[in-house]
Amino acid sequence: MTAGSRLRDDPALAVSVAVLWLLLGLFVVYPLAMLFARVFWDQSGFTLAGIATVLTDRHQIRAFYNSLLLALLVGVIGTLLGFLFAFTATRCRLPRLLVSAIDVAVLLPLVSPPFTTAIGWIFSFGPRGLITNGLLGIKGVSVYGLWSTLGAEALTYFPIAYLALRPILAAIDSNIEGMAQSLGATRWRVFRTVTLPLSVPGLANAFLLLFAASLADFATPLILAGNQFPVLPTQAYLQITGLFDFRGGAVLSFTLLVPALIVFVLQRYWVGQRHYVTVTGKGAGQVPFDSVAPGMRWLLVAACVAVTVFIAYLYALLLYASLVVALGANHAFTLQHYKVIFTEGLKPIRDTLFIAAFATPLGGIYGVLLGYLVARKLFPGRRTMELVSMINYALPGTIVGIAYLIAFNDPPLVLTGTALLIVACYVFRYGPTGIRTTIALLQQIDKSLEEASQGLGAGTGTTFRRVTLPLIMPAFFAGLGVVFIRSMTAISATIFLVSIGWTLITVKILENITELALGPAAAFSVLVVVIVFVVIAAIGRVLRLLRAPGAPVTSFLGA
Amino acid sequence: MKLVVYLRRRMLGLAALLVLPALGLVAAPALAAETLNAYSIWPENWARPMFEEFEKATGIKVNFVRFSSGEALARVIAEKNNPRVDVLFGGPVETFAAGVTEGVFEPYKPASFAKLAPRFRQADGQWTAIADDPLVFMTNDKFLKEKGLKAPASWNDLLNPAYKDSLQMADARTSGTAVTRIFSILEVNGRDENKAFAYMKKLRPNVQLYTKSGGGGTLPVGLGQAGGGIFFIVDALDTKAKGYEVSISFPSEGIGSAAEGIALIKGAKNPELGKKLIDWATSPAMQNQFAKYKINFVPAHPDVAVEPSLAAILKGAKIFPIDADYAGANRKKVVDRWIAEILNP
Repeated sequence: MTAGSRLRDDPALAVSVAVLWLLLGLFVVYPLAMLFARVFWDQSGFTLAGIATVLTDRHQIRAFYNSLLLALLVGVIGTLLGFLFAFTATRCRLPRLLVSAIDVAVLLPLVSPPFTTAIGWIFSFGPRGLITNGLLGIKGVSVYGLWSTLGAEALTYFPIAYLALRPILAAIDSNIEGMAQSLGATRWRVFRTVTLPLSVPGLANAFLLLFAASLADFATPLILAGNQFPVLPTQAYLQITGLFDFRGGAVLSFTLLVPALIVFVLQRYWVGQRHYVTVTGKGAGQVPFDSVAPGMRWLLVAACVAVTVFIAYLYALLLYASLVVALGANHAFTLQHYKVIFTEGLKPIRDTLFIAAFATPLGGIYGVLLGYLVARKLFPGRRTMELVSMINYALPGTIVGIAYLIAFNDPPLVLTGTALLIVACYVFRYGPTGIRTTIALLQQIDKSLEEASQGLGAGTGTTFRRVTLPLIMPAFFAGLGVVFIRSMTAISATIFLVSIGWTLITVKILENITELALGPAAAFSVLVVVIVFVVIAAIGRVLRLLRAPGAPVTSFLGA
Repeated sequence: MKLVVYLRRRMLGLAALLVLPALGLVAAPALAAETLNAYSIWPENWARPMFEEFEKATGIKVNFVRFSSGEALARVIAEKNNPRVDVLFGGPVETFAAGVTEGVFEPYKPASFAKLAPRFRQADGQWTAIADDPLVFMTNDKFLKEKGLKAPASWNDLLNPAYKDSLQMADARTSGTAVTRIFSILEVNGRDENKAFAYMKKLRPNVQLYTKSGGGGTLPVGLGQAGGGIFFIVDALDTKAKGYEVSISFPSEGIGSAAEGIALIKGAKNPELGKKLIDWATSPAMQNQFAKYKINFVPAHPDVAVEPSLAAILKGAKIFPIDADYAGANRKKVVDRWIAEILNP
């Protein structure tokens, strides 16, 4: 039976595929095509002038170079930090309490708006920073520039590396390490020749994820980079919001496309296809391997604790700023800022929750449906469909946001200013996590289950609903979790889509922080962290209920 | 598979599908009977009390969102064919002058129009002033003491190497405060562009950061993270009122003051409501409220007295108005040159 004939025989499948293609065309391909058009066409036809102006402007070249440098450094340092945490967590036999403390500290940056670290950072360093001046007595240091941006981004994004590396390190059979040692290798040699090579794909994957995350972040540089270290996403943002120069913004964001795509391709075809995991069955009991010497163990634990304490300090500072009248001037306790956000800030809170409430289930369903079709059904172009569905996920948010703004600001499809556009942005940008989880999960489930159902006469729809769906529920909830967190915290794409009718908490926080209202900004941030924590804790509960005993832990925070 | 388990799994999924959107619907914003839409350039903490007073007085609710003046103007221009708002509220006059050039406003002469000084109104009524807002120098007291400096009293004082990497001021790409500052420097230099830009180039090494918002640098200056900067008096006095130890001073050569405007958008969906807001905002009805909410704008309406403590600060300061026509005509050129020569030297 050919793939085409399947579609004819199976109307439910045909309809699903058609609807998905329509949506992908509308919300992934069309905006990107319009972005291309804006970059390469003007009134007189095809032109390279737009690109040429950027490529010949040495400031833009410097911004481009800065962006790459920053992403590279964030990738390296974030991966090292992530590896340090993952290695310590899996190899140092930590007390339970410490592991929980580390987990919370790692989770905090993941569930906050992407610039919360930057806010704490700016008050801690600089000429009168709480740390540089207050604690260390250093004078005359500048808080703006590469180092601050790098520090804040590395702290914000290293949890991604941690989540990517931890399962890999945990999966390395400790018997292999033990064997190497009993053959006479020192601990260092075991680490160098066994542990490290086995985690190489994980390291590469973590690096690429961090590289992409940094490339997409415009808010941290907006606060910390200053004028000496311009980066492209921030420049594109100012070009669009300040000057409403769509073309200029489009061209700037377009230049980010190339490195972003390279990273995506590398991640997908080079790292994604290799499996180095050494689990060969659950037969032999695992003998815990003493992979670190006691001295080293203390060093590693101390390093992790230091980073954890620093993160805790940044968030404590944020909490403190939300509870005092004016940080640095009047430290009297007040709930005024919370009062402000629940009166003035009620609209963005309502809008954000409303949008998240729609984006979350839709994103979950989208992820599961597309993942299922791609993993289980034969139909023409299913590989292409999978690839297209990943585009908005792989591209930096600035590009996606600008593409949406350009595509939907003019007829035939005027959607700017509507909640629908923001919801669509979240669904197609963060739904792909659900797609990947679904595909991964389905690869572990024998196809014969579904074939039996169809053999008994059930159609695609019924089989999906009654056999497959219950099996892939964990992926559905994983997708829900990611879409919800991002709906509450993302800013890079949606800042271009807010309007008089719909505005978002994150945009409000950025607005407050670039104004002089630190108190409300801090209070908003605390609120977001609390909401997200509560919701993901609830989803996590459901996820635990659903997981069959022995099934792999699927973290919905992981990429 | 056990039926119970299966059902439980399905129910959880269904429950999530139903409950989440329902939550959203409950949270959906309810719209009042009479609502007008506005972009406010004034920060929320000043715009909101004014709009609430307006609602109290007229029963009309103002739905608004705040943008920096550059962003707000850019949005109004981009939405020319399908305006989303009825009124552009607050923001320096050069922004409104640029809007006139773009043809985005609908002329309307409010009741107070005839009473206002000519610099507080556009001849055709395309915009009308609601307040006046001088720029000031604001410096951190500790910084001054440490460096043995007095609060700057001349534009040239800011060129002192003691301020190296210590000043924060707004970015002309997004902020009207920055544009007003640049036009002040032009005015002080007899509108000689080259002279003015030569000054700004000399000032550049002392600038630590150009901020996205006009008030963006006030907090760093208040905390001492920056030594000083050039801000609108409202932002500076607000910083002082919060308890930060800062000095406010004026240059002897003079400094610009921007009228803050309001305008009706061409093609507005609720023009009658918009006109009511403009009538109210340009009259003493609103401007008498400034003192109550500690908003340190200078009222534009001649019948409203300047609040005494504000008047005391302004006494003796040499302040000149920014010429709206000159600023509107040259805004784009000057901003482009600033980006090319000052921001990215």
